[in-house]
Amino acid sequence: MARIVLENVGKLYGPVVAVEGVNLDIADGEFMVLLGPSGCGKSTTLRMIAGLEEISSGTCSIDGRVVNDVDPAERDLAIVFQNYALYPHMSVADNLAFGLKLRGLPRADIEARIATTARMLGIGELLARKPRQLSGGQQQRVALGRALVRQPKAFLLDEPLSNLDAKLRAGMRTELIKLHQQLGATIVHVTHDQVEAMTMGQRICIMRDGRIVQVGAPLEVYRNPVDTFVAGFLASPPMNLLDARIVANGQGLAVEVGGVALPVPPERTGVLAQWRDRPVVFGIRPEDLYTTAEGGGARVAVDTAVVAVEALGPEVVLVAALPDKREVSARLGRSFTARVAAPQRLYADMAAMHLFDPETRRALPRG
Amino acid sequence: MAAAVTSLARRDRRFGLLLTAPGLAALIFVVMFPLGFTVFTSFFEYTLMHLVHDTFVGVHNYTSIVEEEYLGEAVWVTFKFVLASVVIEFCIGMAVALALNRVTRFKNIYYLILLAPLLMNPVVVAQLWRMILHSELGIMNYLLGGLGIDGVNFLGDPEAAFWTVVLVDIWHQVSFMAILLLAGLSALPREPYEAARMDGASAIRTFIHITLPLMRPVIAVAVLLRLIFALKTFDIIYIMTKGGPGAATDLISYFIYRSAFFGLDLGRASAMSVVLLLGVLGLTMYLYRYMRSLA
Repeated sequence: MARIVLENVGKLYGPVVAVEGVNLDIADGEFMVLLGPSGCGKSTTLRMIAGLEEISSGTCSIDGRVVNDVDPAERDLAIVFQNYALYPHMSVADNLAFGLKLRGLPRADIEARIATTARMLGIGELLARKPRQLSGGQQQRVALGRALVRQPKAFLLDEPLSNLDAKLRAGMRTELIKLHQQLGATIVHVTHDQVEAMTMGQRICIMRDGRIVQVGAPLEVYRNPVDTFVAGFLASPPMNLLDARIVANGQGLAVEVGGVALPVPPERTGVLAQWRDRPVVFGIRPEDLYTTAEGGGARVAVDTAVVAVEALGPEVVLVAALPDKREVSARLGRSFTARVAAPQRLYADMAAMHLFDPETRRALPRG
Repeated sequence: MAAAVTSLARRDRRFGLLLTAPGLAALIFVVMFPLGFTVFTSFFEYTLMHLVHDTFVGVHNYTSIVEEEYLGEAVWVTFKFVLASVVIEFCIGMAVALALNRVTRFKNIYYLILLAPLLMNPVVVAQLWRMILHSELGIMNYLLGGLGIDGVNFLGDPEAAFWTVVLVDIWHQVSFMAILLLAGLSALPREPYEAARMDGASAIRTFIHITLPLMRPVIAVAVLLRLIFALKTFDIIYIMTKGGPGAATDLISYFIYRSAFFGLDLGRASAMSVVLLLGVLGLTMYLYRYMRSLA
């Protein structure tokens, strides 16, 4: 159990800035996900917490103790690596026991802990095998077991699911969530997979170019992305982002996008008044586009032409072109069908729209 | 269809044979012929006084090897030489490889220095050291004198001569070991080391529990290769000591050479060569099998 606090943490590789000004307070027992595209500094941040990378600036503290200069072994954290990093020449049991032996635990304790961990992860059968005799999923479990058996203060997971196939990944996701509930331990999980982040994390920390862009509960981040990067990164297909303009529309305002003027709901016109006749980025999630006018929100009709229909089974993703040929995606019910190039009237729920400053890319206040 | 494929395959094979023919011919001429001649000769009484294969003696040359008076001594000296040079080369080679594996700056310069001895012909190496270590005129004793240390009779004293050839062999060959081990070290995965750091392993424990086991295949190949080469050592002995003083540096290959060209008994020398060859062949086959088992 541990509270991990990063204050203004930075990492330089020579002149290259890998991580900069990271402030993050991970509560005791929290499941925190670091999410971002490759090269955003999330793994480096995790490795700085682990002690595998030196911290160039700022401080990292665990339970109030600054650990910048503390050896990784003494931080009492366990890490699960992306490619598992099992000791290839040791049996599964020895892999689990190695860290405990080094810590001088009595043999009986080591055996008891291995037995408990093996039972918990269902790897009892594999204890005598060498890593190369295991499947990817089994190696993953052993790597997790090696972390669990140590009973560390916190677990650091560096993209542990990315080498698994889709089905195994979904299964392991659920198991990790259960494990977290069972142990109540602090977990920091690094991933570039937004589905993992949304489903597993109690909070998500989204990073880009070595900096934190937004931290929050998954749904909060999904509902209120702070900028176009977060809006475009989270969820699949991502939010439709279109260059638009705020224009006057009778008494109120409208968003002029793709050759169509979409009236802004009255409750949002107040804060937008100052943006009249100015360009904005208009964002609408594919799930906020409908084929019917009925059913809540402030739906406004948009005429489009069908570009592609992607039937995924549980749902259909429609790619449609606006009158000015720009494309948008819509998530529709599984029964939706259409011919390519056929006209299609969609309804955008304007109550759910997002607007961003085209220069700063930051979200405009939602008023 | 099947016929077409077979004729195509036959044509490919013929073309392959055509390409390898010159190389094969050269190999047959310079390797297989002398080898066959040696094996053939080993069954005859064939001396430099009587260069005719007319007296077939069966396995007599082989059975009489054990009667060779000084062979036991030569085998013992060879054993000591191989053991000493390979063990010391391994220790130094490993230390150098571990150090170079961590170096990031001036890597190319270190590599160049390391490779220099390996690029030299053994005869040149031996001649060079013979001059450096000459008891009267050599620069080594001159330098030792400057430090107030009495000169050493490097090649004249039996004990000193043995260690001198061992050290010259090490000087010449240690880079081979270091390069092989370095190649192995640099190919090791980084992750188990990070896992070991998290597990709290010290540098020594990491070396014992991670590096050595992971390096086992490379170590085995490097040591076996050096073992095979060391067993055949001839050049430095021929140039530096001629097996002496006494029999202090009389390695098997030099012993065989002497019995052929000083004892003039080519038949028996051939028999001994064949036995040595079988020994080396045995080691080589073991090495080959081991390397195949790794793949």
